[in-house]
Amino acid sequence: MKATFGEKLFYGVNYIVLLLLGLSCLLPLVHILALSMSDAHAIMSGRVSLRPVGFTMESFQSLFQGTRIIDSLKNSITITVVGTTLAMVVTILTAYPLARKYFIGRRIFMLAFLFTMMFGGGTIPNYLIMKSLGIINTYWALWLPALVNTYNLLILRTFFIGIPEEIEDAARIDGCGEWRLLGSIILPLSLPVLATLTLFNAVGFWNSFLAVLIYINDTHLYNLTVLVQNMIQSQSVLQEVVASQMMQADDTSQITPEGIKAAGIITLMAPMVIVYPFVQKYFVKGALLGSVKG
Amino acid sequence: MAVRSSLKDTGPQARTNHRLKASTVRLMKQNIPLMIMFLPGLLFYIIFKYAPMGGIIIAFKDFNLRDGIFGSPWVGMDNFVQLFNQAQSLQIIRNSFLISILGLVVGFPMPIILAIMLNEVRKMWFKRVVQTLVYLPHFLSWVIVGGIVLSLFALESGTINRWLEGILAEPYPFMYEKVSWLFIYLGSGVWKEMGFAAIIYLAALSAIDPHLYEAGSIDGANKWQQIRHITIPGISTTIILLLILSVGKVMDVGFDQIYNLQNAVVSDIANVISLYIYQIGILRGQYSLTAAMGIFENLVGLVLILLANYIARKFNQGLW
Repeated sequence: MKATFGEKLFYGVNYIVLLLLGLSCLLPLVHILALSMSDAHAIMSGRVSLRPVGFTMESFQSLFQGTRIIDSLKNSITITVVGTTLAMVVTILTAYPLARKYFIGRRIFMLAFLFTMMFGGGTIPNYLIMKSLGIINTYWALWLPALVNTYNLLILRTFFIGIPEEIEDAARIDGCGEWRLLGSIILPLSLPVLATLTLFNAVGFWNSFLAVLIYINDTHLYNLTVLVQNMIQSQSVLQEVVASQMMQADDTSQITPEGIKAAGIITLMAPMVIVYPFVQKYFVKGALLGSVKG
Repeated sequence: MAVRSSLKDTGPQARTNHRLKASTVRLMKQNIPLMIMFLPGLLFYIIFKYAPMGGIIIAFKDFNLRDGIFGSPWVGMDNFVQLFNQAQSLQIIRNSFLISILGLVVGFPMPIILAIMLNEVRKMWFKRVVQTLVYLPHFLSWVIVGGIVLSLFALESGTINRWLEGILAEPYPFMYEKVSWLFIYLGSGVWKEMGFAAIIYLAALSAIDPHLYEAGSIDGANKWQQIRHITIPGISTTIILLLILSVGKVMDVGFDQIYNLQNAVVSDIANVISLYIYQIGILRGQYSLTAAMGIFENLVGLVLILLANYIARKFNQGLW
């Protein structure tokens, strides 16, 4: 069928608006990247837009030498790897029984868990619980309260329910117990949704911010998010870095707080942006499944 | 029981009982590994979700760390009375309402529009590229987005003010004027979450029967009429479901976003409940007062979500 003029116009406008939206998500990130690799003069005079002007890696160098970024990078990795592993294990183990028809009390448990999506104690009671558990100032205060996200639990349970029962029955006749059924039949069939939830959990832990502010007092335990936030909010932190770097180097023209800030943002952003394209095809599929049926 | 035991194990009744018992035993046996699996998750919900709900009682006490949750003296509704008599806390409640309702009005329709637009794209590579780009900001923390916003809109060194240097006599204080700050706040929220929130609508859109569009265009419906009469009704269930859920968050302004975008100059409108609880509760140790604020926020959310569901049920669209 031939497209009418109105339809052509519709499609044309649609493509243009979507292109602009896509660019609006990309260009600010490219701009920050360009800032992080430009020299001080170019940044101060506002000549940097989407490409580095006077290419230099000085900002990254002073960031890595003049701040505690390496420690906080290590902390972020610890928080993310351990937290994600724990959360995935517990979420899987919780979702699997809830997906079995013969699991006693599954309806009541499900309702009780769903209720926590609508009502909770709030920040202060949570804080007091952590305090009484004695895990303030340890990463357990970040890991334990994030073990199960009810929304993720729902997605995973819905996926498990969707796996054809015939496959399980066949395995059961062969003498498969629940643990083996889960480990060697169900989980291998659930890889897309597991990849999705791993990404969601990892992003959550990598980006943890409020939890670190609340539960971690020791600055040596700060993660990258909080360190970069401190650099952005307080100019004085950066002035010190710039000053100390200037003492060491003769050529001081390369360093500016703006450049170091940009370098910090890029460092914080890099792992997400690198991993994301590889997992994207899964999470669209995985998130679709959970949401349509859930 | 007496009747049953007086029967010998020969009647059909007894056999049924026996079978029932055997199946119960089998069910229990089958359930043991499941219960073991389930235990960590159950403990998690008890300790980290339900125990804090019990901690709510400190809102009705004058809590101090020495006496603990149970030892501290009861004060009844004093904390709530104090909250609703302070000009500051009233302003905070008002700000929270205002900011999140504006956020809902601006932020709720955008993902729907985006999903419908993406759904009309015929070139699959173009659709994939745009999707990849618009989902990306969801994965960046508010520290990053706040940093980007500041580097764009800052007074002295902001990129936009550099560009405007030739046009304006002096730089415009985007982050320090209430109206422009509010626009930036709402805009950055839409920018960050619009794409990701569209995924769920895209899923719903893919479930619409393509024959409806064929029939529509044979009947001479133009693109606009098709969207109006086929697409939107096709995803209305999803829209209402998400609307009910987001109505429950109407008091809840996320901490990360506001903390990373606020500054002292705009605190008159930027001071919200989550900030207040952190600054007054966690940092200054006024646990009872801020716990009361937390309960107020959560109760309003719960009531609104129940109310929204009640209304939706009148139109047979309820969540439960």
